[in-house]
Amino acid sequence: MNGGTVLPLVGRPDRIQRVATNLIEIAAVSKVYDTSQRGRHVALSEISFDVAEGQFVSILGPSGCGKSTLLYIVGGFVDATSGSVRVSGAPVTGPGPDRGPVFQEFALFPWKTVLGNVMYGPLQQGLSRTQAATRARELLGLVHLTKYESFYPKELSGGMKQRVALARTLAYQPKILLMDEPFGALDALTRKHLQNELLEIWERDRKTVMFVTHSVEEAVFLSDRIFVMTNSPGRIRKVFDVALPRPRVRAELLVDRRYQEMVVAIEKLMDEQEPELS
Amino acid sequence: MARVNAIPGLSALIACVALLLIWDGLSRAFAVSGLPPPWGPLRELPNLLTEPETLVNILASLRRMAIGFVVAIAFAVPIGLMMGRSRAVAAFFNPLFMVIYPVPKAALMPLIMLWIGIGDMAKVLVIFLGVSLPVVYHSFQGARSVEEKMLWSAAAMGLSASQRLRRIVLPAALPEIMVGCRTGVVLALITMVTSEMIARQSGVGNIFFTALDMGQYDTVYAMIIIIGALGFFCDVGFEAVRRVLVAWAEPSHQIAVGSA
Amino acid sequence: MSIRRNLVSLIAGALPIMAALFLWYAVCALKLAPASLLPSPVTVFTRLIALAGDTNFLTQAGITLFRLFVGFAIAVVLGVSIGILAAGSRAVATLMQPVVRVLAPVPKIALYPAFVLVLGFDHSSKIALVVADALFPILLATYQGAAAVEPKLVWSARAAGASPAKCLFTIVLTAALPSILTGARIGLIIACIVVFLAEMITSTDGLGQMLVRAARNFQTVDMFEPIITITLLGLLLNAAFNVLSARLLVGFAEQP
Repeated sequence: MNGGTVLPLVGRPDRIQRVATNLIEIAAVSKVYDTSQRGRHVALSEISFDVAEGQFVSILGPSGCGKSTLLYIVGGFVDATSGSVRVSGAPVTGPGPDRGPVFQEFALFPWKTVLGNVMYGPLQQGLSRTQAATRARELLGLVHLTKYESFYPKELSGGMKQRVALARTLAYQPKILLMDEPFGALDALTRKHLQNELLEIWERDRKTVMFVTHSVEEAVFLSDRIFVMTNSPGRIRKVFDVALPRPRVRAELLVDRRYQEMVVAIEKLMDEQEPELS
Repeated sequence: MARVNAIPGLSALIACVALLLIWDGLSRAFAVSGLPPPWGPLRELPNLLTEPETLVNILASLRRMAIGFVVAIAFAVPIGLMMGRSRAVAAFFNPLFMVIYPVPKAALMPLIMLWIGIGDMAKVLVIFLGVSLPVVYHSFQGARSVEEKMLWSAAAMGLSASQRLRRIVLPAALPEIMVGCRTGVVLALITMVTSEMIARQSGVGNIFFTALDMGQYDTVYAMIIIIGALGFFCDVGFEAVRRVLVAWAEPSHQIAVGSA
Repeated sequence: MSIRRNLVSLIAGALPIMAALFLWYAVCALKLAPASLLPSPVTVFTRLIALAGDTNFLTQAGITLFRLFVGFAIAVVLGVSIGILAAGSRAVATLMQPVVRVLAPVPKIALYPAFVLVLGFDHSSKIALVVADALFPILLATYQGAAAVEPKLVWSARAAGASPAKCLFTIVLTAALPSILTGARIGLIIACIVVFLAEMITSTDGLGQMLVRAARNFQTVDMFEPIITITLLGLLLNAAFNVLSARLLVGFAEQP
């Protein structure tokens, strides 16, 4: 799947060496739903691609194209109908702390405080309460929520909830972040703030990220590679390598021709899909 | 759930057979005369249901139950709807109903009999009391959750307040009202059986104790089966009516609320 | 503004209750009904206060409360565990659903003669009836609540390393708590009512039996006392349960 469109962009030699191993291998994954009323619905059809360690990849597509389902299959939350997913060489059979999800719906535990939510993962891993609290506080500092540790999720704004969710996932130190339209439920301004923060955090240890979104700008701004999907059946339509320099600054990117051209190219591609849908 | 219900009634039938087998097993395990295996009572059913006296008793009970139920619906639905649409009406009635809620309605039977005699009126009144509250509650909830903008649209089209209550609120609240009615019909049966068991004058509840006093255990258990079946079929029947009337509504899963 | 509105609705809500009490008082004061049929509310409540210090009355109330709590506790344990297991396992759900579908609408009071025949006239038959009656609202509420838990909540816990069984009894159970408590509150009131009715039917002891005995002896005043007592108990238990719920549900969104 490396034969996607490569725009003439500047790559970083040091990074190319680092991405030699494939952390996630997705091979011919299909997902078919048997619905009694509407018959068989093919959500994903023969998806294959690899994600190298340390890469930030986005899966971009219209709603209902199965992009979230693909993420859930990698997470081990949903079983594929056929095909296989391997992570670090081992087949995925269920959820595991090497793959940390962040959901659009936040999915925070409403009965736990902010600190309690973030401590949950470390406690599951066998840390003592003090150790877990220390780690949780570190992460709350990272997402600028130190002052809110004793709040309950319902007392927080959407952006703050998603910061807590991110901290909760980072707290058990997954190798891979699985982000399912994480900023989809937020207003435009908060969304931009969180994109910046996510990049800042990502720059620190460059975890492997699979990021599902339907926003072209978001995908180009954040990712190293973008997989554009088509609707029913869900297939990979095209792969874009984003060789924009990092660390990325939004104000600089917005006036960068390469950024603009890529956004336009992807937008055009997605516009072409529309007639097939309706 | 959907798969099990593919053939209507089949899962219920299997469940009934399973329950009879469990019953049979229990009767063997306990081995007391008070718990015969289910086959005797089952054989007793046809005799019981063709005996004119029993039949008259059961039909009389059902008639009282139906009257109490219908009167309760006619009374409770309008009150519930008005409570749902007017804060003042809700504030007026809510505490009263809250106080009445934990009163055992069937326990009023001796007092009511003292006041208005042992006739049908007393039994109908108790059933009416038992059914009213859950129906008021569900109508209230239904009317309260009617989309405000639907009412604005109706007002913009020139519907008066009373027209809105009848033509917008009533149909919009109907799914919830039907849930209340379904609970109510089972409650009517429960209240009927309970009050008759307390009063021991006539009807289904009386047959129980006559048989119990005479040691006819098969008859006692046959009555349990009959009342159990009545409860089940009242519920199933009402669910069918509900589905036809409010086919457009989302299927609702409600906890059946209430007791005699 | 909101305080004033609360005050107004409090007064509005007190009106019908006060009116009913006043009507009762007026009917008695004007001698529209003979005192042997409808004693004055003053007589009834004076007697109730006197009974609050009466050992026999308190013993009977204690017997009723004991049956109520034991039955309710068994119903909660059974209902919550079966409900959670059914939500966690398709096999349990497939087994449970048809049985519950058949048994839930059956008037449990009809089973009471069978309970008496098998378990005798004492505590156990009445407790069994309380369990049978309170079980289904709790079971159904638990199952529906647990089945409606956002799967992503469970996924988040699974990804953090919790086992499926642990998720079921920590995450799913806690997330379903608002629904479980609603069911339990309904079950509690039902238990309250049903224990009283069972005591009336077999009339051996307890508050229900006091009512039947008073009715047999045409002691109208004494017929009111058990009914008022069980109603007050129901209201008190309901209020206590609401306080407990509010404590347990800190963090959850407000219940409608």
